[in-house]
Amino acid sequence: MAALLNRRALLAAAGTGLLAWIGAPRALARPGRKTAFAAAYKDRDGRFGIALISGDGAIHARIALPDRGHDIACDGAARRAVAFARRPGYFAVVFDLDRRAEPVTLQAAPGRHFFGHGVFSPDGRLLYATENDFEAARGLIGVYDATDGFRRVGEFDTHGMDPHELLLMPDGRTLAVANGGIETHPDFGRAKLNLATMRPSLVFLDRLHGTLVETHRLAADLYQLSIRHMAVDGSGRCWFGCQYEGPRGDVPPLVGLARPGDAIRLLDLPGESWAGFGNYVGSVACNPTADSVAVTSPRGNLLATFDAASGRLVRRQRLEEVCGLAAQADGFFATTGTGAIRPANGKPEHADLVWDNHVLRLDG
Amino acid sequence: MMRLLALALCLGLSLPASGHAEPAPAAAITRAAIDAVIRPGYARFRAAAETLEKDVRALCEAPGPAQLETARAAFRDTALAWASIEIVGFGPVRAQNRLERILFWPDRRGIGLKQVQAILATEDDTATDTATLAQKSVAVQGLGALEYVLFGTGAATLAEADAFRCRYGAAIGTNLAKIAARIAAAWAGDDGIAGQLARPGPDNALFRDQDEALGEVTDILIHGLEQLRAVRLNGFLGETPEKDRPKRALLWRAGLTVATVKANLDGLRDLFDKAGFADHLAEEDRWIAASIRFEFAQADDALSVLPARIADTLADPQAREKLAFVRVVSSSLSQLVGEHLAAAYGLTAGFSSLDGD
Repeated sequence: MAALLNRRALLAAAGTGLLAWIGAPRALARPGRKTAFAAAYKDRDGRFGIALISGDGAIHARIALPDRGHDIACDGAARRAVAFARRPGYFAVVFDLDRRAEPVTLQAAPGRHFFGHGVFSPDGRLLYATENDFEAARGLIGVYDATDGFRRVGEFDTHGMDPHELLLMPDGRTLAVANGGIETHPDFGRAKLNLATMRPSLVFLDRLHGTLVETHRLAADLYQLSIRHMAVDGSGRCWFGCQYEGPRGDVPPLVGLARPGDAIRLLDLPGESWAGFGNYVGSVACNPTADSVAVTSPRGNLLATFDAASGRLVRRQRLEEVCGLAAQADGFFATTGTGAIRPANGKPEHADLVWDNHVLRLDG
Repeated sequence: MMRLLALALCLGLSLPASGHAEPAPAAAITRAAIDAVIRPGYARFRAAAETLEKDVRALCEAPGPAQLETARAAFRDTALAWASIEIVGFGPVRAQNRLERILFWPDRRGIGLKQVQAILATEDDTATDTATLAQKSVAVQGLGALEYVLFGTGAATLAEADAFRCRYGAAIGTNLAKIAARIAAAWAGDDGIAGQLARPGPDNALFRDQDEALGEVTDILIHGLEQLRAVRLNGFLGETPEKDRPKRALLWRAGLTVATVKANLDGLRDLFDKAGFADHLAEEDRWIAASIRFEFAQADDALSVLPARIADTLADPQAREKLAFVRVVSSSLSQLVGEHLAAAYGLTAGFSSLDGD
């Protein structure tokens, strides 16, 4: 039913030409204030969209979305990006970073919905998206041909349920996928259907053959620790962040590291505690320039920065409902569920809208 | 709270002297929720489950139609007691998968049913011992499994003699009574979850301040309404009658689908009323409480005239319309509570902190 409602909203939006750039024409992009980031938002009237933001936190342009967006994938060379609907989502919107073309909407395949994350191949020819085969509760990677109108050309198994974020490893061939392990079905909204029997994993897949390279699982007693978000550091290690579905009084570690060929491990916090993180990490970002990694917890109102080499927690910043996170200069650019935009250096801005969980750095 | 303070000052009211201060609204609501709703709710569930255990054992010892009817009545009481308190989704009920062990649903792929049928078909003796039953799939240990035992295909044999089926049912009854007793005991003392909820503070691992505690209590309403609509109703009630799935309705075999929807809403309304959510609103926000009560009454009126068997309700266009209306009412209630009531108490909705994104 949720599926139908969303499809209907989507068609209605397409029919009214709602999927278009909002506001000033493209001349608005002022020289010297290059678009550097993109993030999904909800405005004061409850409308959803994507905003393009400069490095100092000014909003350059907006694109309306028919429903709530989540993460964005970018092909820097082609100057285009794809925004995915938040789970269970039925659309993705392709847009040109320089506004040379109107946005184009893609629909999820029958029996599939998007989970909200995707990534381009290094040459920009293929787009990979995490998807749910919801009748079978089977995680999938949907493959789209960016050279042919984003036609869906295939799909392969993620060997787990609830694949959430995916990213491309530095070899350009291996995909890292966080199988969150939580079963959902659009008939039941966002209800979690299998908390007693979750089996989260982090898998490495060969994107060229669609095959499983390695499966990494945490200790059996952490079966309710859902692995959801990731980022790759300068040495090719995959940092991941988790949310815990077990009893609230438990305080499991929420951040860990994985790499093909190595054992997966969770981070210790000597002399510190994970208690302030509300058992929920919403975003992970690496800054190879500064050799640092940051995670956000919107429930703990916390932005925590780690030294990548030692894994030591070096800084905790209190920021109300902080979640969106991306590397910038020697630090991190962050957005919050209350509307704040926090450049790494420089003064915070406050938008008249609220930000979804992720912010994408636009390279190229 | 700031608004109340400002109002008090505007009206020239003196603030109570410290030491004899009225508790702040957040603390008062939280305290009342524990004492007047949560503790009595779990105590009722515990008492019902203990009766159920006793009545199923009595049926096994002396099978007969009257004994079967007594056991079924005890099942109904237990399911309804659970439906009014299952809205509490935090605390001891979340330890050791107790929530799922009491009632595993929604079971979209019918896994539980297959597992229960397999236990009955193979007469798996490990399912009749409470200790080994508790190690099995959550779907074969609770109300869903016991519903099938007492009301499902072949249940009539319980009135004559079906030793295995009855022993399995009795083990489920004992399992439920044990879990219910543990939850009730964990809430009863002031040193456990009740103390944590009632006394937030920097050293409290779960609730750092009164707003977090009040947020958790308010979340019972928000989440309960969402579950009622997105899972309990939408799970079987289609957008159009052709899309109805009556056999997906919770506890349809026992004819308890509508009754548990009602018990769910009664539990939510009780929490709103008895925790005193209406008592601390500023003048300009009082309409929120009036609207919430109006919507609860609308839902109650609609539900009270429906046939017990869900298939009958869905087959009768007028009755079905009333059920669909309850779904609409639950949306209005979600908006009233999630936006207006939460805002009146200064609670933010948490746009970025929802699960799994």
